[in-house]
Amino acid sequence: MAMTPRERVLAAMRKEQLDRPPVAVFTQSATIGQMEALNVFWPEAHSNPQMMAKLGSGQADVLGFEAVRASFCLTAEAERLGCVVDPGKKDRTPMIKKHPFKFDPMVGEYDEPALMDPEEFLKGGRPATVIEAVKLMKEQRGKDYAVIAGNTGPFTLAGHMVSTENLVFGIMMAPEEVTKWLKAVAPICKGYTQALADAGADIIQMSEPSASTDLLSPDMFDEFAGGYCKDSLATVKGAYSVLHICGNTTPILNNMVATGVTGLSIEEKVDPKEGVRIVKKRAALIGNIGVVNPLLQGTPEDCYKHGKIVKEAGFDVVAPGCGLSALISNENLLALVKAVKE
Amino acid sequence: MSAELDALIDIVVTGKIKEAAPATQKCLDAGNDAKTIIFEGLSKAMAIVGDYYASKKYFLPQVLLSANTLYQGLNLVLPLLKGKGAGTQKGTVVITVVEGDVHDIGKNIVKAMLTGLGLNVIDLGKDTPIKDIIASAKENKAEIIAESTLMTPTLEGMKETVKILKEEGMTGKTKLMIGGGATSQEFASQIGADGWSYDAVEASKVAQKFLGI
Repeated sequence: MAMTPRERVLAAMRKEQLDRPPVAVFTQSATIGQMEALNVFWPEAHSNPQMMAKLGSGQADVLGFEAVRASFCLTAEAERLGCVVDPGKKDRTPMIKKHPFKFDPMVGEYDEPALMDPEEFLKGGRPATVIEAVKLMKEQRGKDYAVIAGNTGPFTLAGHMVSTENLVFGIMMAPEEVTKWLKAVAPICKGYTQALADAGADIIQMSEPSASTDLLSPDMFDEFAGGYCKDSLATVKGAYSVLHICGNTTPILNNMVATGVTGLSIEEKVDPKEGVRIVKKRAALIGNIGVVNPLLQGTPEDCYKHGKIVKEAGFDVVAPGCGLSALISNENLLALVKAVKE
Repeated sequence: MSAELDALIDIVVTGKIKEAAPATQKCLDAGNDAKTIIFEGLSKAMAIVGDYYASKKYFLPQVLLSANTLYQGLNLVLPLLKGKGAGTQKGTVVITVVEGDVHDIGKNIVKAMLTGLGLNVIDLGKDTPIKDIIASAKENKAEIIAESTLMTPTLEGMKETVKILKEEGMTGKTKLMIGGGATSQEFASQIGADGWSYDAVEASKVAQKFLGI
């Protein structure tokens, strides 16, 4: 009997040999094509669990990808903790407009990380919306599809609270202040990860873009990002864990593996074959089709070709390397799905 | 090259932030004028930082530290330079992150590199409407507009900039350079931007090419 998409994705998490890898969006998955087909749109879907569940299933229902996923942004946690967030538009994800805490390495002024209790965090705001959406998706689609829940990594979330540039600069000026913030946000990330798993998510995909080599030097990764990802993601019970980091992660793939997560989700800046060679099946590899090129700016033929390249390189899941731009066409995404499935 | 300038260069490259202002003052005391300190000292330091970044000896945290060290020195000498009137700075750049995007770390590093070149850099911050960018370029007679975005919906703003520059008869006089995660050389060529760069080191080279310096 043929495998269901759910079985295929979960087998890929276990790095089982398959006739072909699954094709699924592990990062932000919504596009305008899906919104129009389902008549559910941003920004409303960011804060309504029914809409989120419907649009989050769009990658499977509209385009034939082999998983479902919520949510669509990396601002839910930050907003709950006091950041001012612009909800965005139909084609644009929410963005953080204001950081609530002072953290100024230049003048040496640092607010104490006075954050809400991790239990309290889960009870309201958009984290509660995402938890509710995951429950609905599990109920509605969980038989056929693995449910992926996305959340934000500790270093990235700490950056949202105090400004990422200040946090990175703080590593050079006052590392103990940076550590204080990481220790404050990590229990919140950990609690949210487990709550998403308890709500029925099969896979927790944590995005930690600010730990990219574009921002952190590789020798800082373990101390300021990796250790906290290990604690707040890899320890999750009852779900697989996937760590997503943007940019060229080639120099930190071993560090990412060392966090103990089930899978790594990486961008196209890593050469697919080299990524497979370095990771050596120590974690499932998920990626790494370029979101801007080919998915946004290329042709369906380009997307098809890249799909084949990543599939043949030996990725466990063929997936976009980062969150989808809402402007990516159905044609390009369908071409990617076709390249992997046939 | 004086020993004081050498010391200042080392301080900026290694990010000894608290020593930058006193070291700059020492350069002035030793008889170096502001222009020499900027072009023979601070610019050279940022060029070394750029080389270290390109060769992956430095990453963003070290560059941020050097950039902030640079500003400590510049704060002392820039006011002196401005007093000398036109011609002492090599060009004016209006830099910003376009409307709809707030990711500005990359832009801030480009700003540091361009400032390190001795350019007059006007920073409009982030999430800046295109009409404000054009207005600032006009008002300041900027030779260059430098725009960044990490997001895809905001790429339209860059396209719009090219269009407005054309409508205003500024094409060619004010060059547009773009960068940021969502951009590429292909995209720059497609919309008719004058230049694209992958990172801050390349951005500094593109600006130098535009200004013939």
